[in-house]
Amino acid sequence: MTAPQHPQRFFGHFAVFLGLLVGAQRLTGAEPPVPLPADHAERFTRGLGQFQKEIRPLLITHCLKCHGGEKTQGEFSLATREDLLRGGADGPAIRLFDGPGSRLVKLVAHAEKPHMPSKGDPLPEASVRALSEWIHNGAPYDAPLIAGAAKDSKSVGPAESRAPKPFTGWPYQRLASIQPPAGVSGDAHPVDAFIEARLTEKGLALNLESNRRTLLRRASFDLLGLPPTPEALDAFEKDASPGAWERAIDSLLAQPQHGERWARHWLDVARFAESSGFEHDYDRPGAHHYRDFVIKALNADMPYDQFVQWQLAGDEFAPENPLALMATGFLGAGVFPTQITANEVERTRYDAMDDMLATTTSAMLGLTVGCARCHDHKFDPIPTRDYYRLLSTFTTTVRSQRQLDLDPELTQIKKTAFDTEHARYLGERNRYEQTVLPGRFDAWLQAGAGWKTRADWEQLHSQEWKSKAGASFRAMADGSFLAEGKNADSDTYTVSGQTSSSGLRALRLEALPDPSLPHNGPGRADNGNLGLSRIRVFAQPLSGGERQEVRLVRPRATFEQNNGNLSIAGSLDNDPHTGWAVDPKFGTRQAAIFDFETPLQNAGGLRLTIELEFQVNSRHHIGRPRVSVTSLASASFDSEGIPAEIAGLLGRLKAPGGGPKTLSTSERTTLMHWWKTSDDGWRQVHQKAEAHEKDRPKPTLTQVLMCGEGFPALRMHTQGGDFLPETHFLQRGSADQKRGVATQSFLQVLMKSPDSEAQWRWQPPTGAPYSGRRRSLALWMTDTTDGAGHLLARVIVNRLWQHHFGQGLVATPNDFGIQGAKPSHPELLDWLAGELIRGGWRLKPIHRLLMTSQTYRQTSAVSEVKVQRDPNNSLLSRHVPTRLEAEAIRDTLLWITGALDTTPFGPGTLDESSRRRSIYFTVKRSQLIPAMQVFDAPEPLVSQSTRPATTVAPQALWLMNNPKVREWATGWAHRTTHNASQESSEWVTSAYQRALQRSPSPVELQTSVGFLKQQTERYRKAGTGRPELQAATDLLQTLISLNEVIYVD
Amino acid sequence: MNPNPALNHPLSRRDLFRRAGHGAGLLALAGLLDDQRLLLPRALAGPTTDPLAARPPQIRTRAKSVIWLFMNGGPSQVDTWDYKPELTRRHGQELPGFDKKTGFFTDSVGPLMKSPFAWAQHGQSGTWVSDLFPNLSRHVDKMAFLHSCHTESNNHSPALFMINTGSTRMGFPCVGSWMTYGLGSESRDLPSFVVMSDPLDRGLPKGQASNWGAGFLPSVYQGTWLRPKGDPIDNLHRPAGMNAEAQRAQLDLLRSLNQQHLAQAGSEGELGARIESFELAYRMQSAAPDAFDVEHEPDHLKRLYGLDQPHCKHFASQCLMARRMVERGVRFVQIYSGGMDNQRSWDGHEDIVGNHRGFARETDQPIAGLLADLEQRGLLEDTLVIWGGEFGRLPVSQKGGNPGRDHNPHAFTYWLAGGGARGGVHHGATDAFGHKAEVDKVSVNDLHATILHLMGLDHERLTFFNNGRNFRLTDVAGDVVRSVIA
Repeated sequence: MTAPQHPQRFFGHFAVFLGLLVGAQRLTGAEPPVPLPADHAERFTRGLGQFQKEIRPLLITHCLKCHGGEKTQGEFSLATREDLLRGGADGPAIRLFDGPGSRLVKLVAHAEKPHMPSKGDPLPEASVRALSEWIHNGAPYDAPLIAGAAKDSKSVGPAESRAPKPFTGWPYQRLASIQPPAGVSGDAHPVDAFIEARLTEKGLALNLESNRRTLLRRASFDLLGLPPTPEALDAFEKDASPGAWERAIDSLLAQPQHGERWARHWLDVARFAESSGFEHDYDRPGAHHYRDFVIKALNADMPYDQFVQWQLAGDEFAPENPLALMATGFLGAGVFPTQITANEVERTRYDAMDDMLATTTSAMLGLTVGCARCHDHKFDPIPTRDYYRLLSTFTTTVRSQRQLDLDPELTQIKKTAFDTEHARYLGERNRYEQTVLPGRFDAWLQAGAGWKTRADWEQLHSQEWKSKAGASFRAMADGSFLAEGKNADSDTYTVSGQTSSSGLRALRLEALPDPSLPHNGPGRADNGNLGLSRIRVFAQPLSGGERQEVRLVRPRATFEQNNGNLSIAGSLDNDPHTGWAVDPKFGTRQAAIFDFETPLQNAGGLRLTIELEFQVNSRHHIGRPRVSVTSLASASFDSEGIPAEIAGLLGRLKAPGGGPKTLSTSERTTLMHWWKTSDDGWRQVHQKAEAHEKDRPKPTLTQVLMCGEGFPALRMHTQGGDFLPETHFLQRGSADQKRGVATQSFLQVLMKSPDSEAQWRWQPPTGAPYSGRRRSLALWMTDTTDGAGHLLARVIVNRLWQHHFGQGLVATPNDFGIQGAKPSHPELLDWLAGELIRGGWRLKPIHRLLMTSQTYRQTSAVSEVKVQRDPNNSLLSRHVPTRLEAEAIRDTLLWITGALDTTPFGPGTLDESSRRRSIYFTVKRSQLIPAMQVFDAPEPLVSQSTRPATTVAPQALWLMNNPKVREWATGWAHRTTHNASQESSEWVTSAYQRALQRSPSPVELQTSVGFLKQQTERYRKAGTGRPELQAATDLLQTLISLNEVIYVD
Repeated sequence: MNPNPALNHPLSRRDLFRRAGHGAGLLALAGLLDDQRLLLPRALAGPTTDPLAARPPQIRTRAKSVIWLFMNGGPSQVDTWDYKPELTRRHGQELPGFDKKTGFFTDSVGPLMKSPFAWAQHGQSGTWVSDLFPNLSRHVDKMAFLHSCHTESNNHSPALFMINTGSTRMGFPCVGSWMTYGLGSESRDLPSFVVMSDPLDRGLPKGQASNWGAGFLPSVYQGTWLRPKGDPIDNLHRPAGMNAEAQRAQLDLLRSLNQQHLAQAGSEGELGARIESFELAYRMQSAAPDAFDVEHEPDHLKRLYGLDQPHCKHFASQCLMARRMVERGVRFVQIYSGGMDNQRSWDGHEDIVGNHRGFARETDQPIAGLLADLEQRGLLEDTLVIWGGEFGRLPVSQKGGNPGRDHNPHAFTYWLAGGGARGGVHHGATDAFGHKAEVDKVSVNDLHATILHLMGLDHERLTFFNNGRNFRLTDVAGDVVRSVIA
């Protein structure tokens, strides 16, 4: 058995693809092109092993002295690989990859003269064979035979890896400026002109146009993935006016099902899934928004360059547009481990960035850049240096889950309307406070009765809050402190303050909600939770003396997440993994009370210091804490605390010689505003305002998975960080061998001049959370003048061609490189790419352009001549029927049986009873939908451009026995057989119309009617409940199982 | 249908692209199908290429099937097959120079811990076996031991992917998929590659179905996972109310209508194949349940496997099913002992004694029964039996009330039996403590190369072109371990 060989391809200078293995050696001068074996990587690895073990000693012992060592006889040296390949005065010494055909081998075997070594016997047979094998494997060196022999080799490292010659090979060339050929007839469709020019050369012509049923079915399945409705078909068949076909296409392109059909093609390319894969395959809530983005963008005919830009950097192009953020789901759709040990952190991160880069370049540029991770790309002009510079685009790119308002404009309109109305209530309260309240307050003050009010809870004076990790605190009017800024994984707050009270018995710690916190708090964790791993209290007399820890007992809280590791008791132990948490009581005030083991005696004032440690979980810090103390034995969670300032004023009023006169104007105002809450009149106006406040419109927040910069990363069980601060060049792809920091650039072969990356460099506005690197990448990629835009256009028009004609003009749509297939019609491809760009990158006009050609409309008839002259149909001499993909098969069955639910968008489901289109199945990597897999839906692991279409028995079993399929058929039978008066031949005819969009032939009708009768009889004899219904179901199930249903002509 | 139509009926290049997809990957399949002579015009093509049609091996061999007994979680080599008296002598001492990041838990590393099990020599080969395997120890002369295996990750999921697919990353085809791709299936009415997991609600191995996924190979080559409860395979039962006669009549109608369409559409290989696939499906409805049904096996055989023993009934039943399947031509069967991790599998982080005793009791008699049964039927020569997990365990203890052992990527033991493996040999060795493979080290690539070789496949020639290059199970490495081949 032979290894598969591609048609031999040649690649000039690039033939020496040694890259890192042999240092930065390059051939000079005009070398004959060398065909590249497909198994190059393996051969080189083997060859290198041979070199190290056998060949190096062999060459040194027998050859080097005269050829590159002491002498260089015959102008031939083999000290370096470069020398060896250059040959000597007599010509080449070896033929790369051809051991037996190499002169060197013949000479050392003494099969040709001059015999080598020049004195003595031929080399032993085993040595000759080893040498020959080594040449077969590409004759790799790991280092020159003599240290320092390589003239231009620097230290081996990716940074020094080869710089390619620009624009080598067809895909890197700018678009050719091309006009369609004159055409066979004067006014030929441009696509036909290209196709017919090639056919004519071969003495072939296009087939005749297909009939209208075939045409509309073909178009409908291609554009919608569903059959045409009988009405649409009827109208089209009757429409004899010019432009009927164009109108039919336009009408299909305008339907919302179009996006659902074509999004699925792109989702294969984007390796889209909604879970992480690996150990736990965690769901990624909000990931389905990316799928919806693709559908919406295709339906709206979003320009393709924008479609690409948003997927790479939607957050950098349009940070306020939710759709643009959803688009970035592209980058984050790959697999990622859920459990990462300490020594896997770096490798895992490089793998994750590689996934982003490899998918981006395969999907958008049709290039297998991933090959350059370990060594310069063997076939395409992509050096390792380019790989790492490009990879650095994603250095700080992470998956984030965000709560987004999907309709910010509407929210703003509602908010403005509310504010206008709310101003009335606030005005009323203000008026009361200015006109009525002062009089009432004076009366209270003079009466003196209320002064005796005493607070259950007292707040400390002169509080100072500090955060070990660097958060800052803002003092709030109610005595609480709002944590802001730095939100580290773990933190310790320290607050100290003073009290003059004596006999203190307990401490209360409150965690207040605040709109600035996630989910309104009360914690700073992503979900609003908190996790207090430890609380400690210290007391120190103000007069001096020792600071002593106050022992806390009897912990209790308004709510505990559980009564084990997340209980309030856990905040008193030494274990940093246990402590008070409050999930799911988000957005509400929570409080905890700790009794002091012995009441604190106090003469002359105490300084209390409270330490709050948060290590239970990442960022589970209290967002707006408030602490207070009490000397009561039974103070409750909820009783009011009196702010220290008010307590002081009340104290002055009560003190001997005190009274209202001692208050300054501002102190009076302060006291009035504290007192007003007990005034009935104020309460009334206030409650009205509060009641109205409850109606304040809140944006509907939706969880969206995006992939960008500046937002907390979606964390896994990892023993390390989410990203590395810098991306390094790696030797042979190993994170243990770093070779300097890589700064962003793009593929040199697709830049007007190497190292001109600054041209696309985009600086984000000051304060933006992102680096601008992804937007820079997107700008380069969509730049048709100096960047990669021409290749981007070629790759997407080829994908459109692929799905309309069954095979791309380039048959390997993800690989336009040297190893991929060559374009069958390069001029047509370039012209189409040009049309796309000239048309503002809109895809629908290209669909229309392709489908209006006779090439698309011709029949699938095959003739002997066509088979001989165009065996693979690469010249497009006929149409080729194709089998529908998994999703289209299931959708079509649902449609035929009348079971299809056309609800678009939103979360998907894993439930196979769903009757929505198959694109709305949740793609969970560990639970792929069997009905999709059995019909060749790919595993969403890497970018996939082409699906196979296998024929295996489990597909048949699904149609025969699957309960859902049977249920759909039964439902169809139920709906259509209730009219007992209907003739069975009429019923059969309408079933054929529905399933196949045609009437049965006389034979089919006869066979089907006969079957109905006999099958009914069978069920009757077997005593089945409803023999007619069962038989009708059997027939309908048969119709949806027909080849004709899933093979579209 | 012709058992191997591909070899007789050329098909078009476009057919190839479409059928097996993945672009030029098909060319590799074409290579396996003897290349260019097959690439004839579509209209002249006969019946389709059945991607599962049996294909001749690349290397002469007797082995036809594999049964891989996967000891999930990582069994301890020093407590099973790798006898280390030095470990006993140095019990309780520190292991000098030990890197605390070797295992999963960096903060609970204890000193060297002797094997808590009793060891004795068995068989002609004098193989040392711990008393975990009183039944299996009677079969050591059938087993070829690879004591010096090592892998690349200390974490379950990457290590499972490594041992199953040759890469620690997710998304590569597993051994069973490669083998089915290379050899096709000998069975017309059963899946070619079958996986059984723990039926006692202890979960799937980490990474789940990716361990038997086809990666970038066409999805027909992925493993068929038998559901441990309920119907093992989907869609085997006729719809409610339909008897065999009614379904036969329905399929006859389908056939007749499809034939009429075929006559109009001209000779279409794929259409013909699809007509046949319904017949095959019809037969599978009875063939598959029959293969899975162990209840009708004779009592003495059930006892041989341990079906009468509550502690090992589940694994015994899976082993017996495996035999029934390979007997019927199934190419590759993988059975996982244990569920997800920790005490639910061989992952003995704590209480190595309780953990390994438990899982050894579940598997010892069933596997011994399988080996004996295969041998007496003459099937052992045709069937390669593989025993092992995703990594080994450390010779130092993992601290705790009942000490356990943490993950060890540097050393573990595999054994092969039947299928051309040389019985009673021991290849390679670990250091004095069983900590690291030292002599004649066997990488996972080497292990895969050896398994493929025994099955008649050359690991360097079994390739698939994907995203720009030829991929192999063994990437760019791997040497066949010759000493374990008979």
